Amino acid sequence: MSSKTMVQSMNEALYSMMAEDDDIILLGEDIGRDGGVFRVTDGLQAKYGENRVIDTPLNELGIVGMAIGMAMYGLKPIAEIQFQDFIFPAFDQIVNQMAKIRYRTGNQFQVPMVIRTPYGGGVKGGLYHSQSGESYFVHTAGLRVVTPSNPYDAKGLLVSSVRSGDPVIFLEPKRLYRSIKMEVPDSLYQIELGKARLLKEGRSISVITYGSMVPIVENVISKNNIDADILDLRTLLPMDLDAILKSVKKTGRVIIVHEAPRTLGLGAEISALISERAIEYLLSPIMRVTGPDIPFPYVNEEIYIPDEKRILAAINSVINY
Amino acid sequence: MSPLSNISNDQLIEAYRNAVRSRTLDIKIVNSQRQGIIGFHVPSAGQEIIQVALGMLARREDIIFGYYRDLALLIQRGIPLDKIIDQLLGNKEDMQKGRQMPDHFSFKDYNFSSIQSPVGAHLPLAVGAAYMLKYKGREGIVIANFGDGATSTSDFHAAMNFAGVFNLKILFLCENNGWAISLPTEKQTKGEIYRKGEAYGIMGKRIDGNDLLSSINGITEAMNYIRDGKGPYILEAVTYRIGPHSTSDDTKKYRVDEITDGSEKDPIRRLENLLLSMGILDEGKISQIKADAKREMDEIVEERRKIGFPDRSTMFDDLYAETLWIQDEERRDML
Repeated sequence: MSSKTMVQSMNEALYSMMAEDDDIILLGEDIGRDGGVFRVTDGLQAKYGENRVIDTPLNELGIVGMAIGMAMYGLKPIAEIQFQDFIFPAFDQIVNQMAKIRYRTGNQFQVPMVIRTPYGGGVKGGLYHSQSGESYFVHTAGLRVVTPSNPYDAKGLLVSSVRSGDPVIFLEPKRLYRSIKMEVPDSLYQIELGKARLLKEGRSISVITYGSMVPIVENVISKNNIDADILDLRTLLPMDLDAILKSVKKTGRVIIVHEAPRTLGLGAEISALISERAIEYLLSPIMRVTGPDIPFPYVNEEIYIPDEKRILAAINSVINY
Repeated sequence: MSPLSNISNDQLIEAYRNAVRSRTLDIKIVNSQRQGIIGFHVPSAGQEIIQVALGMLARREDIIFGYYRDLALLIQRGIPLDKIIDQLLGNKEDMQKGRQMPDHFSFKDYNFSSIQSPVGAHLPLAVGAAYMLKYKGREGIVIANFGDGATSTSDFHAAMNFAGVFNLKILFLCENNGWAISLPTEKQTKGEIYRKGEAYGIMGKRIDGNDLLSSINGITEAMNYIRDGKGPYILEAVTYRIGPHSTSDDTKKYRVDEITDGSEKDPIRRLENLLLSMGILDEGKISQIKADAKREMDEIVEERRKIGFPDRSTMFDDLYAETLWIQDEERRDML
């Protein structure tokens, strides 16, 4: 056990998993000699060689398609897409191949692979190094979508993703890569996919969030002494419906916080699930605090990303409804 | 004596028989589609010769990534006819449980991968499979088939580049049948398909895909090159799509057919003439092969038709290693 950042805990997870299983293979742009632009794969090529930590040509559909072919034939590839904003050339491969191969072949083939990719703003990345595209993937049956919010979860969720036997989109909140340090076990451990974590228990409101927004939400709640449940979803597909409903039935008031744009963001789905199954428990409307429906602006990113003020305003309006 | 040192007369007769069986089945499927027995078909007519040549030379351990117009390849590969028909019908015995349109096969036990509709999208997957062979030190090569239309896709170029960079054992086999639905090859590309590998350091050659000997020679040369570890190879097999793109297409809108079923330029007829001239087959034997194929296809479609469709609840299966609450709930609510 030692204090680690998310980058360190994930690097350690990859290092240890590769030591245990020769079928795990990494591929992506600049992940080998350079260790990845965020250094998540630092040192792994030196340890495991360039046939196992593969620096690929610059082509995302090539990276994802190649990983799918590897996974169909017995390997367990972990592909890195340098920024989630760059994943779209591979969208056909993800939606039409990766997600559908087990289904369309009647389970003759499986696709056990993970696509790791940093997402979200807060690093002055402008339009193309800041997007939160989770909704695109959550809309596709056959995928799992996972996003950690701290170094401990990042390691455990990554291990579970690799061992799940399914294709996983692993969204890494890049703003949290080095901003949080916490005690993380040195050995491998798993965190069950599909299970949310109740970060804090309260009675007056449920704040449902995930990924990059978790530390901000925690800060707002503790600073203002709000008696809230904070639910960190951790897995976005499938979502932990039981945990959501349990919290909502207790508090009767809900806000959902995410960085992705509002329209058809996860907040819409969560809100619909609650409305269908627990509307009689609600004491006020469900509110969403999200990024606006505009591209991610370079100089105004602090306005784009939900902040303490907007989150607090939503909490107050729901509590005082 | 066989005109090719590595191929026996029996193999040539077998190749001819399989080409005829494929053509006969093709026609049977089109007719079945018109009768409402089979929902859809992408005819392979005209492309049988390059496909049987490939099937003769591909080894058991070679991994084939075919496309949706490879019926003769499946037959030559030895995939049982009932399994093929089951997929076309989408019946209860279909290994894919009726989930895919006809001609989108997958036969893992025969090292035949999985076919998708989006053109060219299997090519990067073939590269991944070839990388696996290299990483694991396994025997065999990967064979990736596609049409001329696929050479315009991003997937094709990504796959070629990756295959070149990693020096993989992969044969890219373009069945250039002249047409991508309504677009002729000369409007698909200004360049030559077999030369498209040059930019990626990949060897290429064009062969007459409607001639069995040319096809066998070309594939043999390419496979030797690949098996020797010299790198990937792209073969452009020039052939012709005798039928429409699919049963939903009508060629009269955009072309005058250059080769028709049974005409002198029909590649099966060309093989027939060759085998006749060499005394390997005679007219009686040819008639027998055709009659046998007709009876075989009529009988097997009739037999497999009687099998019912998959249980509806299976439509929610096989999405994940374990089922999720989402599909469990939808299955419960809808059925």
